[in-house]
Amino acid sequence: MTDARTIRFTLNGAPVSVSVMPHETLIEMLSLRLELKGARESCGQGLCGCCTVYVNGKSVSSCLYLAQLVDGAKVVTIEGINDGAELDPVQQAFIEVGAFQCGFCTPGFIMMARELLDVHPNPTEDEIRHYLIGNLCRCSAYPEIVEAVKLAARRRAAGTTPALAEELSA
Amino acid sequence: MLGFELSEPATLDEAFDLLADGDPGVRPMGGGTALMLMMKAQIFKPERLVSLRNVGGCFDGLRIDADQSHIRIGGMTTFAEIERSPMVLQHLPAVVRTMKTLANIRVRHVASVGGNLAHADPHLDLPPVWMAHAASIRIVSKSGERVIPVEDLFAGYYETTLGDGELIGEVIVPVRPEWTSTYVKVTTRSAHDWPALGIAVSANLQGQRVNDLRLVLSAALDRPTRLDAAENELRGSDLSEAALKRAGEAAVAEADIHSDSRGSAAYKQHLLRVHLSRAMHSLAGA
Ligand SMILES: Cc1cc2nc3c(=O)[nH]c(=O)nc-3n(C[C@H](O)[C@H](O)[C@H](O)COP(=O)(O)OP(=O)(O)OC[C@H]3O[C@@H](n4cnc5c(N)ncnc54)[C@H](O)[C@@H]3O)c2cc1C
Ligand code: FES
Ligand code: FES
Repeated sequence: MTDARTIRFTLNGAPVSVSVMPHETLIEMLSLRLELKGARESCGQGLCGCCTVYVNGKSVSSCLYLAQLVDGAKVVTIEGINDGAELDPVQQAFIEVGAFQCGFCTPGFIMMARELLDVHPNPTEDEIRHYLIGNLCRCSAYPEIVEAVKLAARRRAAGTTPALAEELSA
Repeated sequence: MLGFELSEPATLDEAFDLLADGDPGVRPMGGGTALMLMMKAQIFKPERLVSLRNVGGCFDGLRIDADQSHIRIGGMTTFAEIERSPMVLQHLPAVVRTMKTLANIRVRHVASVGGNLAHADPHLDLPPVWMAHAASIRIVSKSGERVIPVEDLFAGYYETTLGDGELIGEVIVPVRPEWTSTYVKVTTRSAHDWPALGIAVSANLQGQRVNDLRLVLSAALDRPTRLDAAENELRGSDLSEAALKRAGEAAVAEADIHSDSRGSAAYKQHLLRVHLSRAMHSLAGA
């Protein structure tokens, strides 16, 4: 069909149904129809990671993904990674370390860093840099981003999110 | 990117029917990563995209034959599934290593092995690796199927020998315990750039002696290409400096390398000599 089709999927844990055109990308549907502005299109070519979301538990570039293909899938965006009461450990670590300047790339880095820690709970610096190879930060906050991922890894391993000060003095 | 139809047939027969009309705007879709880039750049204006993700059959799955002779990788298998398979790591470690510098994990979560081959961009990393491993592909169509070596798929720059309505159903890779393989991605600008050349080598070695080998050059030519003359210089000989030098010269003589934005022809020829020799040494050292 060249016409709009209604698709149903789970978005950040809640069922939604949306009418979308075949040519609409996932990022267009999320930001324009569903008003979720955390993932954003920047390069539009799969290179920068700003549009990262999870589809069925795997990171994808939503700029290269047709919206209709998430029919029946589970989609999670940066807005859905914490319970609303407490930040995700990776979010908390990015704030404490100051792993951004303008913040444009941050949602994508956080999504990728969370996935990295699921795959490699205790990543080396090389593993961090390698996993984040498809994420670009124009402000070049890379050293702080790597530090934040290491901090989040330690926090997740310890199962706690103590204040940075405590941790540094420990 | 406007006004096209997107269908997701649940069977291969339905897919064949949807692809039947021979219109260049009607294309099968694997992961869609290459198609999306071409659509966004308006190089390709689709009429109808036929996603293969639900067709099943040989397009799905990643398995080894009961007699352990061949690995079969369904056409819709993603790169991430391949790189995370312990079976692939055990039998085809060079394929897993190649993934480490291929795009990024988001692309590898989506890109399919069939779409990668059918795209026929000569800069792609995996096609020469499949060729070095002596892999074949099963091509399916409404009228039946045929199996061809991967090297017979490529007809030129972004061109394949696939006929209308033919699909790549699976990649078949022989398990060759006596062989070792490697792939060298030679980039000349940034590490993320398309390679100036890709060199995939696979050899059956006995100490320094080369019983048999396959050498494939990609990126610098319009399609990934076996280096027959260079292979002949090394087959049956020892990996001496003299033999490697002869092989390097033979490779340069048989490959019609042109200058482009990634380097002059002379520079790329030099890279070919050097990296071919290093790749062979790395196999002998491994
Ligand atoms: C950000 C980015 C970085 C990249 N970096 C690299 C890199 O470093 N190295 C590298 O090698 N590649 C790289 N690529 C390219 C990538 O490998 C290809 O885009 C991908 O492999 C194509 O697979 P696909 O399943 O997405 O193909 P699709 O886009 O679905 O299809 C590609 C072509 O194949 C056809 N097709 C699809 N499936 C079949 C089938 N089963 N049978 C017959 N025809 C079929 C389609 O009609 C289309 O013509 C990169 C891509 C992106 C987006
Ligand atoms: S906008 Fe999708 S990866 Fe850059
Ligand atoms: S913080 Fe500005 S782009 Fe990364």
